[in-house]
Amino acid sequence: MTSHHSHLCTPWEHRLSRRQWLGTAAGATAGALGFGGLLSPAVGEEIAKSDKQVLFMWIDGGMSQLESWDPKPNTRFGGPFRAIPTSLPGVHFSELLPRTAKLAHKLSVIRSLHTQDNSHSAGVARIQRGDPKDRGVTYPFFGSAVAKLMGPGDSKLPPYVWVKPGSGGFIHQDAGFLGPKYGSLAFGDGQPPANFVRPDSIGDEEDELQHKLREAANKRYASRRRAENNEANAYVFDMARRLMDRRELFDTSQLDPKDVERYGSHLLGQHTLMGRRMLEAGVRFVKVNSYGWDTHGDNFDGHLSLMAKFDAAFSSLVEDLDERGMLDRVLVIAMSEFGRTPRINGAVGRDHWPEAWSLAMAGTGLKPGVVVGKTNAEGTFVEGDEHDIGHMFHTWFRALGVDPHKTEYDNGGQPLPIAHDDCHAVKELLA
Amino acid sequence: MEDAKILKEKYEPKQSLVVGPDFQVTAARFSPCGRFLIGAGFDAKLHRWRVPEAAPAEPAAAEAEKNPDKNAQQPTLEALAPIAGHNGWVTSLAFHPDRERLFSVDSWGRLACWKYADEAPQPLWQVEAAHAGFIRDVAVSPDGSKLASCGRDGFIRLWATADGAKQAELAGHNEDVHSVRFHPAEAALVSGDLKGAVIHWDLSTGKLARRFDAAELYALSRDQEVGGAKCLRFSPDGMTLAAAGTRPKNGGTVQGTPLLVLFDWKTGQVAKKLEFGATSDVYVFDLEFHPAGFLMVVTCGGPGNGKFLYQRIDDKEPFFVTTQMANCQSLSVHPDGRRIAVAATNRGSNGNGRPLDKDGNYLGNTSPIHVFEMANA
Repeated sequence: MTSHHSHLCTPWEHRLSRRQWLGTAAGATAGALGFGGLLSPAVGEEIAKSDKQVLFMWIDGGMSQLESWDPKPNTRFGGPFRAIPTSLPGVHFSELLPRTAKLAHKLSVIRSLHTQDNSHSAGVARIQRGDPKDRGVTYPFFGSAVAKLMGPGDSKLPPYVWVKPGSGGFIHQDAGFLGPKYGSLAFGDGQPPANFVRPDSIGDEEDELQHKLREAANKRYASRRRAENNEANAYVFDMARRLMDRRELFDTSQLDPKDVERYGSHLLGQHTLMGRRMLEAGVRFVKVNSYGWDTHGDNFDGHLSLMAKFDAAFSSLVEDLDERGMLDRVLVIAMSEFGRTPRINGAVGRDHWPEAWSLAMAGTGLKPGVVVGKTNAEGTFVEGDEHDIGHMFHTWFRALGVDPHKTEYDNGGQPLPIAHDDCHAVKELLA
Repeated sequence: MEDAKILKEKYEPKQSLVVGPDFQVTAARFSPCGRFLIGAGFDAKLHRWRVPEAAPAEPAAAEAEKNPDKNAQQPTLEALAPIAGHNGWVTSLAFHPDRERLFSVDSWGRLACWKYADEAPQPLWQVEAAHAGFIRDVAVSPDGSKLASCGRDGFIRLWATADGAKQAELAGHNEDVHSVRFHPAEAALVSGDLKGAVIHWDLSTGKLARRFDAAELYALSRDQEVGGAKCLRFSPDGMTLAAAGTRPKNGGTVQGTPLLVLFDWKTGQVAKKLEFGATSDVYVFDLEFHPAGFLMVVTCGGPGNGKFLYQRIDDKEPFFVTTQMANCQSLSVHPDGRRIAVAATNRGSNGNGRPLDKDGNYLGNTSPIHVFEMANA
């Protein structure tokens, strides 16, 4: 990646870019159903004072639990790889996680996930929205939920950012009934929005004049439209301005080469490193995506390649947050929409498997060095209590200091639980 | 060179029987003595079947397929006690050319030598950590004195077949080394890696002699490295080297066109590139040069896709192809030159559901091994 300080754009491009941002927000707002609030503002105010943050690593397509957190070596479906001891006595991970295995005492792993959807198209959203009871509304993704419940914090930076390969933009769909304001601001390929840097030809004075002009125009615009549209517009614009003040977050030329090497020069490594910097800057919720994990064919060579990248990025992140004392306030989650089938298909691949899979976490509110739940000897099904994504949402909210039993959304008068009402937190995971 | 039509008449394979194990194999190969078929299992075992001296007079399995009679005994091979002692997957196997010795490697790093015709073979010797983890391939020199292994650790190692003593370590790949093969006539070894680099090692000096470029067998798809020189084979006269794999399109569920890069051994130049099908056909997993001048190739594509084909190097299309088998993993020609074993996969091997039998047990997949006869060869 290159520094974007060097990118030169014309003032015209700069103005156009801001309009495009506003256009995105307006379009998003027009499609929204309305704004959700919280039933208890007092509870909300208390939560918003929290300095807790989240780094959510989304491994899109389905990481194999057998090639990661729950290996079953030398069994029928175990695959070719070995299991290696971790820093937790008696606990083994796949040999594809050599660095992460040394940090197992910092991690909280659950091996008893049993979720409801085996398709990507529905599963990704269903998992990230917590799969609540159907009440005729579209629930927010976890990132939007945290943005709503906990706000931007002291940093005043966008509360929900998404570092991902491919395109970027403002992804209002994540927010569901909360309204577009709580969508994610996606940095495609880890890049800031286009024409992000104010050209030298526009001085502070001119910039301030433009800002006032925009506010006046917004006021006039708002007088003829729903208030929430204007609120979303202003919100997105303010985010842009605040990000412009933190342009160093995108300047990869300032990175410590040792960090680049540790995290890896690949997409996941560099995007995770950017995620760490976003956390350090105070962003409340950072999502980092890795794509290409849907290994129906060549699963083992695929995981051999991909897990090495994950291992470098994830272990470096946990090490750094730990070293900086940030694990006390940051919740780290690494997960997919499901696991992969125990049986190995003819293409030497594994298919989708929501029946029995795993995820790993670290940080605030969690008990470090625990492995909760188990699968049977061949890894086909969960033995003992199964845990759905609703249980994880309860657990994560608890870990962040949000009581899911005392906190409810107010969707225009409709009270809505923030996590599935029939689920509960997994107590063994909580500190 | 014979006309393709004549070649087809002479060498077209007819399925004579199917060995139906209830496990999966990475490969199944006939022993040089011709009396055994041995499979390298996903279950860390070497599976053995006794092969009759002569092929059945009639292609019985094909007949049985046409006229299924559930009460009739399906033709198969007699299964012998499997050989245990490996871990993970048995990833490759090779035979001594004239002594009854089998060399096998696994995904945990073990190399072992077996007297495979014994009733209950014990390792004659073994190297517990021949490589640091996944061993990809093993090959025996034409004179039977040396063994070469390669693996994920990036090394090629040479061993004495007599006692497993390490003779040399060759370092030149900075990648996972997928395949290794001895030249049939020269003191030369070739090895191919994940990124499609093929190295010629001069065994008289132990040095890297030259590099062949088969980089088309590799792609970086987002963060995933895809492909590799999965298989290396020499023509019987040693004048052509084939590097096989896929021309990758994308990772995840790997898509790519089965690709064979043929090098002129003398010049090191690419002589020909052959593609076999569409991007859903993905990999050439195995091949052999037939002495009559054509290639015998098996492909393994997306779940359900597999081809077994014959093609002359200068032709654009195969003169024989069958897609009756799903996901072909390996191909082996019997020393009688008339029989071929293709290890494939059961149909319906994939899916996101819960495949359970009537007792509620979770079902795995299997590797039916199809034995063909070239009746007119």
